[in-house]
Amino acid sequence: MRKNVIAFIIFLFVILGYFTITSLARVVRSDWQEPLPINQADQKYRLVLITQDIDTPFWESVIEGAKEQAEKDQAMLEVLGNYGSNEEAFLQNLELAIHSKVDGIIIQGLDTDEFKELTKIKAAFYSIPIITIAIDVPMEESLRRTYVGSNHYESGVKLAEQLVEDMGEVGKVVLFYDQEQYFYQLERQAGIESVLKKYPEITIVPVETIDQKEDITSTTQDLLNQHPDVDGFIAIKSTIALGMIEEISRRRQVESLAIYTFDDHDDLEQLLIDGKLDAVIKQSPQEMGRLSVQLVIEWLNGETVPLDFDGYLTEIELVKATDFDE
Amino acid sequence: MNSVRRKILILTSVTVVMMLVIWFSFTIYNRQTQEQYNEILQRYLLLNEVNVASQQLITDLNLYLSTSDPDQYQKIDQIKDSLREKEADVWSLGYQENEFEIVNYVHLTDSLIETVDRSISLHLQEDTEAAANEFNDATRIANYISDTTLALVDKELKTYDSFYRHIIEQSVNINQLGVWLFLFLSFILIVLTYLIARSITRPIYQLTEAANQLSQGHFDTEVHVDSNDEMAFLAKTFNRMRLNINNLISEIQLKAQLEKELQESKLLLQESQLRSLQSQINPHFLFNTLNTISKKAYLEGSIETSDLLVDVAGLLRYNLKQLDRSVTLYDEVTVLRHYIDIQKARLTDRLQFTESIDFDLLDLDMPALTLQPIIENAVIHAIEPRESGGKIMFRVSDLEDQVLIEIEDDGPGMTEEKKIQLIEGLLIPKEGHSTGIGFTNVIKRLRIFYGSNDLVKIDSQINRGTKVSLILPKQKGGTRNV
Repeated sequence: MRKNVIAFIIFLFVILGYFTITSLARVVRSDWQEPLPINQADQKYRLVLITQDIDTPFWESVIEGAKEQAEKDQAMLEVLGNYGSNEEAFLQNLELAIHSKVDGIIIQGLDTDEFKELTKIKAAFYSIPIITIAIDVPMEESLRRTYVGSNHYESGVKLAEQLVEDMGEVGKVVLFYDQEQYFYQLERQAGIESVLKKYPEITIVPVETIDQKEDITSTTQDLLNQHPDVDGFIAIKSTIALGMIEEISRRRQVESLAIYTFDDHDDLEQLLIDGKLDAVIKQSPQEMGRLSVQLVIEWLNGETVPLDFDGYLTEIELVKATDFDE
Repeated sequence: MNSVRRKILILTSVTVVMMLVIWFSFTIYNRQTQEQYNEILQRYLLLNEVNVASQQLITDLNLYLSTSDPDQYQKIDQIKDSLREKEADVWSLGYQENEFEIVNYVHLTDSLIETVDRSISLHLQEDTEAAANEFNDATRIANYISDTTLALVDKELKTYDSFYRHIIEQSVNINQLGVWLFLFLSFILIVLTYLIARSITRPIYQLTEAANQLSQGHFDTEVHVDSNDEMAFLAKTFNRMRLNINNLISEIQLKAQLEKELQESKLLLQESQLRSLQSQINPHFLFNTLNTISKKAYLEGSIETSDLLVDVAGLLRYNLKQLDRSVTLYDEVTVLRHYIDIQKARLTDRLQFTESIDFDLLDLDMPALTLQPIIENAVIHAIEPRESGGKIMFRVSDLEDQVLIEIEDDGPGMTEEKKIQLIEGLLIPKEGHSTGIGFTNVIKRLRIFYGSNDLVKIDSQINRGTKVSLILPKQKGGTRNV
């Protein structure tokens, strides 16, 4: 009896002691780790990559490449972006970056006065190097250090040559332009026209539209009404191509038409597979991101001064619908 | 000593110390948590302050540009200073996750101050348009500061999210710990209290038990207490008291025994005194008469009768005079001879008496009337019942320290049982002794006189005879002859 009581008391003691100690351990133990402090003495370069179309696969690749390179060079890279080509937000990001006195800005070129004003005056005031990426703005107008991206004139040429090859030397081709007339689009246009001019049998129908869905649709409708016998289309921008194809497919068979465009877009690949789109000029976004970061850092380190004003061109590639047939 | 008090003090101080330790640790922990809270709050407050200050700067700049009030200029200066001060604090908010924003934030603040400065200097140069442009820039920068503040707060929330959850979790854990600690300590205190209480009450119970035993008269069970405090001391004292009582009781018993013996001997003395008084009926008259008769008999030529009367008178005189004082062996032998002469006259040839005496020993001190009663016994038991009579031998011999006196007869003897009764003094003396003094009386007196017990020895065999031996020390007081 007495033994049982003692055993019970010891048992109770052990149990209570165990729970007390474990709960004490829980209180004392702290999983939380204070965030690591900034090393102020060892300041890294602060780079900013600014884009208008952060959610496109094209820009995702650019960002990926840039981040990889930034990590390699131990620079801080912040991506400022907005969705759906919001110009105002884009310019605000640029201004914010300039006022924040970052060490370098890598930016998607924008052929507007505000952009040029910011790059030419504000950035120069704080002496921040600016590199345009993917889309160029003439150096005289933006005071950019260099351009990293595709040669748009060259890609226009390539696309036009493909068109001629597919369609033949006789036909009616619609050239779908953006009303804004950005510098890179003009380059592309120049490239296309330089090829098509060689073939007098090919009639060019230039069409201008605003880069808004309703406008693209109505412009396409007008175009189809006026020129029902069109053989081919070249859209200067992938968003235009998307709206255009959607509208055409409502009216007639798309597959028989030769339709061409630039850039990557999520939906373009499916159109290529379906045969609705005949060919697309593909760029090397990852390489653009990587190279641009590398160049900025080289410039900041004083390794490559000055940078090549004409720009560093990345590869372009023509992707045809027939490539997906296999 | 003070052990019970010490036990209670220990229990109390253990309790108090435990409570204090717990109270202390909880207080410290609470303070730490509070400090953490404060730090977090201060981060937010600092960000807000920068934001508010930059907005205020814009407002004041606007006022200044429109009024050119030098007071306003002063105010702007103050805000700028405070912004610069805060810049240093803002650096301390940085950690690796928000480094970019923090650096931006600081640079934006710098840009704002620079732009404001430019605007003011342009205003002073009266280039109003340029000043307005700079003011617009400053406004935009202030807006960017607001945006960045929001972004920073956002980051802060994200980074510290797990920390906030941790704090919440900790408070739950603390509550749990409190409950467990309470249970654990209560348990320990209960057990401790029980043990200490028992260590105090158990000895008391044992002591009560012992006291009960004592009160019922059981003085032999030892008082035992399992303790080392005052109770043990009490128990020891109690035990000593019990032993003392035991000793006292046995002492009293011894005294009572002695008293009883004294009473007995007193009774014996009274008896003999009574007897002697009885026989003292005008002893001088009797004595003188006997002498007169003796002389008369002598004058009448009856010499034998005269001698006999002289013997009787001598015996009578000895008997009357010398009962309560010591005499010498010589006196005793003289009286013995008187008695034998008288008995010889009565029993004629039936009594044959032989004696062998070491005359060097005759000055031995001894109680009066010791030998005569023994001889008389021999006469009564060994000679008188027998027609043919008997022999009585009397010997006194030297045993170095002692003197051996033997009285031997050839009578019928006695049984062993009777012999023991005789020595133990259990036999009631019968009437018929001439001096009224029996054998038992002799033995007792001898014992009192010499203060020793082994003085008398009886050897007897049925139909062979009886030998009574007295072994008397030469020195009175027994064997201590140094």
